[in-house]
Amino acid sequence: MSKTRRYEIPLNRVEGDLEVRVDVDEGVVTDAWSSGTMFRGFENLLLGRQALDSLVVTPRICGVCSTTHLLAAAKALDMVSGVQPPPNAVRLRNIALMAETLQSDLRHSVLFFLPDLAASAYRRHPLFDEAVRRFEPAKGETWVEAIIETKKILEIVAIIAGQWPHSSFIVPGGVAYSPHPTELLQCRYILRRVREWYEKRILGCSIDRWREVRSAAHLDAWLEERADHRESALGFFLDFGRRIGLDETGRGHDSFLSFGSLELPEGTDVAGPGESTRLIPAGYFDGATTHAFDQSLISEDVSFSLAADYETGLHPVEGVTAPVTGDSGTRYSWVKAPRYDGRPAETGPLAEALVGGDPLLRDLVARNGASTLVRQLARLTRPATMMPAIEAWIAEIPASSNGDTYVPYGTLEEGSGHGVIQAARGALGHWVTVRDGVITHYQVITPSAWNGSPRDGAGVRGPWEEALVGTVIADPDDPVEAGHVIRSFDPCLVCAVHAIDRRRENT
Amino acid sequence: MSLLSAETPNLVQLLDSAGLELLWHPSLSNLAPVHRLRLFERLAAGEEPLDILVIEGSILHGADDSGSFDAYMGRPKRDWVRELAERAGYVVAAGTCAAYGGFGHQAPTRAGGLQWDRTEPGGLLGAAFRSAAGLPVINLAGCPCHHDVITGTLLALTSGLPLPLDEFNRPAHWYGVMVHQGCTRNEYHEYRVEESDFGQKGCLFFHMGCHGPLVGGPCNKLLWNQRSSKTRVGVPCFGCTHPGFPASHPFFATRNIEGIPLELPMGVDRAHYLAYKGMAAAAAPARLKDRITEI
Repeated sequence: MSKTRRYEIPLNRVEGDLEVRVDVDEGVVTDAWSSGTMFRGFENLLLGRQALDSLVVTPRICGVCSTTHLLAAAKALDMVSGVQPPPNAVRLRNIALMAETLQSDLRHSVLFFLPDLAASAYRRHPLFDEAVRRFEPAKGETWVEAIIETKKILEIVAIIAGQWPHSSFIVPGGVAYSPHPTELLQCRYILRRVREWYEKRILGCSIDRWREVRSAAHLDAWLEERADHRESALGFFLDFGRRIGLDETGRGHDSFLSFGSLELPEGTDVAGPGESTRLIPAGYFDGATTHAFDQSLISEDVSFSLAADYETGLHPVEGVTAPVTGDSGTRYSWVKAPRYDGRPAETGPLAEALVGGDPLLRDLVARNGASTLVRQLARLTRPATMMPAIEAWIAEIPASSNGDTYVPYGTLEEGSGHGVIQAARGALGHWVTVRDGVITHYQVITPSAWNGSPRDGAGVRGPWEEALVGTVIADPDDPVEAGHVIRSFDPCLVCAVHAIDRRRENT
Repeated sequence: MSLLSAETPNLVQLLDSAGLELLWHPSLSNLAPVHRLRLFERLAAGEEPLDILVIEGSILHGADDSGSFDAYMGRPKRDWVRELAERAGYVVAAGTCAAYGGFGHQAPTRAGGLQWDRTEPGGLLGAAFRSAAGLPVINLAGCPCHHDVITGTLLALTSGLPLPLDEFNRPAHWYGVMVHQGCTRNEYHEYRVEESDFGQKGCLFFHMGCHGPLVGGPCNKLLWNQRSSKTRVGVPCFGCTHPGFPASHPFFATRNIEGIPLELPMGVDRAHYLAYKGMAAAAAPARLKDRITEI
């Protein structure tokens, strides 16, 4: 008789509806299936609507990264009209996107990932009491501070965009509002305050000091150097994480994708890695080599998705899909299976850092492979890359010789466009086709569709399905180990399960 | 997520001092799955009291009235909601989707609200539904709902204060004010100094599709994130607090007949409006016509 037992694991503290099924043999996960359990069909709501309406509909796909969807939608319309937003509009778009990303990284880490260390599964762990003191929901010291500080950082978005979430301030040609210099000064002081908290509580050192940590050896030396480093949220996470083996779980396919994001405006002093024209470069990293990114290599497989009447393996510009509503057979997820050049790919802060050549994360992955620990480390330290760029762009706006923040976009009558950027959770793409001013085709592929994809026609698992295999689970009734692995991808299934598209004849 | 931006009280203060015990929240709780299922079962069986049930997100009746498009722990979400609502002291719909259906009301998802389907009473629980405390579902409309409306409602309920509801079962205190009230572009509206493109200072009602004078909501009274509002930064109000949101006509255009908006500010008759706006435009001072007045 087989010893393999199958468990359903509904996860909470993900942004949405996700259920994971795992096969466990003698305490080790031998196979995994990830199901998005809600179908929303957001793109269908856009068909037949005016082109600009995507700026209102798509932010509402997600309550955490609505600015990200707005930017992707607006960039797709920039392309349809051929308009070039002026440099200060690029700065304002970038600042709002990065403020939202800081919010997401810090909330995910402190409110979603780290509270698992304070869960009952670790009640006998020597660091448990300290984890509870810091991260217990609604009570832990760092948890409470993160609520206050992430709320504060969003005031930057509200100053530029009017509100967070769900503004529609990014429009083809730029942004709807030009903040007064005194409002920009307020943005600067909001950021300064949150940066001070981040340096003190999360890093335990200045951002400048952290950016000198460029290898695994530097990281160990940094931990040795001061008690402040060891006692910060980052130091505590590294200690606890290594003790419970998070550096040994969650490897995945060694296949990393970044669409690139945060283009450098004309005349800026901010520089990206190497010769990149963006702060976050685009590319595909296979564990050894970085390849140039080509969006035409994206396809979506639906062999195991609850999607009918669909020729599998199509680029999103061609996708034709309807949800399965009858017998679903072996199909198990509302999420489609995006593939890059035929391969599954993980995306997110780790992937974009590896593509960009980040020396610390490259070194850690070269030595020990991608892991739950490294993935979360990349997310927890990404604000150290973004905060200085936000500061610089806030300061550059009033000094820019071109004060425009919007140029008329002409028309949106005919054409196709795409907006491919890096959201907080990774690669996000919007593809739109407009005929007679009306949307005839719309497709969104979210980061969680990449990370949480089901199998493809060749039977190859999606990234976090693959990452789960080999995970040791002590108590199937409380599979906290599987939770760590999946949460290191920052799943957002509100996003992922909407990825359904139906081309409708324009009647 | 909007709730996390609440101020006075913020979320931590709300949970700490208002006598509220958060039994479970999908994003914030760290309860193991098996314990969560048992909690739900105890609540549904009435073995543990459920004072306030807050639901986010629409009820999906698709596919084909099975509810299968939104499953939770192997059952349609709507079945859980129906069972828990029968036991709850108060039922609160947080956001327009939970209240009225919002996005996705057409097939195949067939999204509906807890006690309304768009502008029609009914929904999942039926027009006659009353929670244990004797109230219908309290609809905190908005996409998203304003953070301080959620905390304000929970505080009022735990404090035993009356919370009068309007015709759509929204707390009148926050939805009995027009979105337009408090907009910094009011001067431009008053004298009909209008815009037809982004990035300008004038009023967005006449060409840009702004619903500010058409719907009730607290956006310019409470402000967002303690800072601003969409209309203040030149983004039209899309009417997201109305049960009919989202409208099927274009968001960024005002439907009109010979230059006069088809939908007039709430309660205004057309003949008077024509006379009033004609005179107002004629009386507009140069500081507005020349866009000198700041917003």
